[in-house]
Amino acid sequence: MIFKSFDIVPHGTKFDFVGKRHIAVVLSLIVNLAVIGWSIKGLNFGVDFAGGTEMEVKFSQAVDPGAIRHGVEELGFKDASVQTYGAESENTFLIRVGRVAMMSAADFEKVVQAVRAQLPVKGSPSFNADMGDKIEFQFESPVDTAALRAAVEGAGVRVADVRNEQGLAAGTRSYTVITQGIREKVEHDLGVRFAQAKPEVRRVEYVGPAVGRELRNQGFKAVLYAMALIVIYVGLRFDFRFSPGVIIAIVHDAIITFGYFAFSGREFNLTSIAVILTVVGYSVNDTVVVYDRIRENGLKLQGKALGDIVNLSINETLGRTFLTSFATALSLIGLLIFGVGEIWDFAMAMLIGIVVGTYSTWFIAAPMTVWLEERAAKKAGAKATIA
Amino acid sequence: MDRSWNWRLAIVLVVTVLSVYQLIPTWHYFKLSPEARNTDVFDKSVPSWAPKARKHLTLGLDLQGGIHLALGVDVDKAVKAKVTRRADEIASWLKEKKVAFDGCAPSADGVRVECRTTDAAALEKSVSDGYGNEMYVPAGAPAGTVQFGFMDKVVQEFRAKAVEQAEKTIRNRIDKWGVTEPDIKRKGTNQVQIQLPGFKDPQKAKELIGRTAQLEFRICDDESPALDPIRSQLPVCPSGRDGMHFPLPEGGCWTVENVELPTGASRENTVVAAADRAQLDKVIAEKVKPLIDPSKQAIGVGESFVGEGAFRKGYHRTFLMRSRVEMTGDYIADARASFDQGAIGGGKPIVTFAMSAEGARLMEKLTTENVKRRMATVLDDKVETAPYIQSTISSNGQITLGGGKSFQEMNEEANEIALVLKAGALPAPVTIFEERTVGATLGPELVKKGTLAALVGLGIVLVFMALYYRGSGLIADVALALNGVLVLAVMSMFGSTLTLPGIAGFVLTLGMAVDANVLINERIREELRAGKGTKQAVQLGYDKVFWTIVDAHVTTLAAAVVLMNYGTGPVRGFAVTLIIGLLASMFTSIVVTRVMMEYFTRHETARLSV
Repeated sequence: MIFKSFDIVPHGTKFDFVGKRHIAVVLSLIVNLAVIGWSIKGLNFGVDFAGGTEMEVKFSQAVDPGAIRHGVEELGFKDASVQTYGAESENTFLIRVGRVAMMSAADFEKVVQAVRAQLPVKGSPSFNADMGDKIEFQFESPVDTAALRAAVEGAGVRVADVRNEQGLAAGTRSYTVITQGIREKVEHDLGVRFAQAKPEVRRVEYVGPAVGRELRNQGFKAVLYAMALIVIYVGLRFDFRFSPGVIIAIVHDAIITFGYFAFSGREFNLTSIAVILTVVGYSVNDTVVVYDRIRENGLKLQGKALGDIVNLSINETLGRTFLTSFATALSLIGLLIFGVGEIWDFAMAMLIGIVVGTYSTWFIAAPMTVWLEERAAKKAGAKATIA
Repeated sequence: MDRSWNWRLAIVLVVTVLSVYQLIPTWHYFKLSPEARNTDVFDKSVPSWAPKARKHLTLGLDLQGGIHLALGVDVDKAVKAKVTRRADEIASWLKEKKVAFDGCAPSADGVRVECRTTDAAALEKSVSDGYGNEMYVPAGAPAGTVQFGFMDKVVQEFRAKAVEQAEKTIRNRIDKWGVTEPDIKRKGTNQVQIQLPGFKDPQKAKELIGRTAQLEFRICDDESPALDPIRSQLPVCPSGRDGMHFPLPEGGCWTVENVELPTGASRENTVVAAADRAQLDKVIAEKVKPLIDPSKQAIGVGESFVGEGAFRKGYHRTFLMRSRVEMTGDYIADARASFDQGAIGGGKPIVTFAMSAEGARLMEKLTTENVKRRMATVLDDKVETAPYIQSTISSNGQITLGGGKSFQEMNEEANEIALVLKAGALPAPVTIFEERTVGATLGPELVKKGTLAALVGLGIVLVFMALYYRGSGLIADVALALNGVLVLAVMSMFGSTLTLPGIAGFVLTLGMAVDANVLINERIREELRAGKGTKQAVQLGYDKVFWTIVDAHVTTLAAAVVLMNYGTGPVRGFAVTLIIGLLASMFTSIVVTRVMMEYFTRHETARLSV
């Protein structure tokens, strides 16, 4: 072997992690509060969570994103967002609109009036903008679908399909009119506007707002469940006295990872939840290594102050807590080079989570345990030790 | 080396060989062009000694293109429809019982039946006698009326049935297009989730899936020999002792079916069969259609099964029917699976159904004219059943099932038929909650980039370990490579899907697998620094670090399991990959590297570069 054994982190370090905890806590607190404050201002929710329609469109030649936005806005989507997706040279854009239905409530009123004028509508037709481009009509007797289509189109709404369905009550008929949706509209419009650049819709994601809300709530819950499971496991394996430190550390890591999405304005979606969950599970690994050593040293060095034992344990395990994170971070390099869109964000947020996870092990988790123990000991009037 | 080491080595070798063996179908799968992958070219390319061809890694929708749809079933509308029909039923019940009332109709909000009457008490009692097990009388009915609401458990059942029906209908329709490996499942209380890999036309998919089921009744034209000439055009179906023998010849075949005629005689009817609907439809269009008189006859397609349990196999077959649609599902008010009341042979599963008032009239006429003929119930262009009409049916009918089946099978069939009949009766429209369409051009590009990213990540980690830990680093590298193989093998074994986030998860688990080796090697270095001999340092290193490795893996596993339960599609793919990767990592770090390390340090004087 050409290389002599070397340590990236020299062994025998005597860094005072416990002593520096005040600075670390203040620093972390500022960052965490900043993330929370910033995210209240507004997160860039992807369609997964906000609901809406998202389209990935590739052009065969360079196209001005401003012109695309202008085109989409002219179709009536004031909130449209157009982002470059992947490398500039790929001419790929992500177009997102917050709505799932083309039709607005006003359009709907116009349509109903027009149909009523020509056909014997029974009751009030139903339309739900959250559910997409569907209007349901009830009639006393069967009507000609072509006539219904003509009546709706007469009111200025393009129809994609008219379905004849069975009525609720015996004898009545119900018809569902499917109006032209966002995808068709945008696809058609871009095709006309940028005929030379041959737009190709490569991916469409459409999530109803109700589902979006549900996914968001579930995602939040999933993160909490995972945290609870981990805290219980660590508590059972070690000591529930370690739990507060673990809780604070994983919440800290989750918030900062989340902060990547808040500050960068990158899309927050299902994959982002996956990153946060993984960070929560992974960042505990280092903490476990240190706690394991604290327990080992606690038995070996009985009577020594807890703060000293913790400092010693962190220093002794410094090499591995650093190297494990370093090795995992290395594996992400490929994703950072070749990953596009959400996969790049995945790798970046994961990287931040890994780094922060190691930082919180050194400066937050174990020192927190010392602090909490010392407070408890002060109350009980005894000296903090660990057994 | 001791015995335990021999055993452990044996386990490692067996696992390695089995993993590579398990990857054979996956290897062949990815060797083919994307178009050829989901065809029988693939089945044929896998050698016969390899694991079952089905067991291979597939690409997720995000990587091969296709459609993911989550449909919401409008269960409330199904319940309202039920209320409307129940109002009619109660009205005829009251008429029959001669209770004074002034009409029954759904209440303003549509969830209750409201009857107007001057004698509320009598009406309430009468209805409770008839429907007390399903309905209750809520408070707060407007003056001069009595309201009846469905009990919660009944409403729950309606909702569940509506979703079940929607799922069944969708499955029927998708089977008809011949999409390969569609994945259709119920999700939550009111959703049906559909994945159509490789399907390119979202508009068509939405259009076909979005309709409510169409149910028709037609009379089978068993007297007609119209299909007999097909016998000279197609091969005869291979038959075994218990019916159809698989595989069926490509392009269809013919067989016979014994049918009873109204005259009491029986006849051998010609039936055309094929392995799947798409094939049969082709044969029908090319060869069967020219034989029939379209103004009088129509061809229906149904599915039949042979064998039981795991050996049960289905094929598609024709029914010769009259072209006239005698009745539609609109006229069915309700249907349920029930049991035969007869004294002898009683308790057999049957299907009972109730017709609406208008339907009863039509049904009576139809069944009187066609006693002893078969009546096909056609749901969405698929013949679901074709029972013989035993006697005249009017408002209430029942369908008895054919013999030769176990109670369990009959019960299932009864439930199935009831579901079909109700599908016509209860309109439960679906709305698209979620749609994700990935074009076919995007996939290959992502696969290429993903593979490159994974290889680069893996390469960097391998080089780092070899440089930093030298000899032990190389051991870790071997374990890491095995880890990768193991993950892919297990995923292939379960036929898992590889998604884009899944590739990221794969890369990440490789990084995490290295973690365990770092922990071990660092511990060994520490023991060596403390002056321990090489052999002892290795033993101590592994022993002391064992629980740390378990703890580290369990915490991440906990998060991954939560994620698997939460996520759908690509994100779920990530969670699955992560879980398998973590388990494989525990095995390779704790067992595999240890076997190698112990081998290299078997002598007390051995030196270890770590």
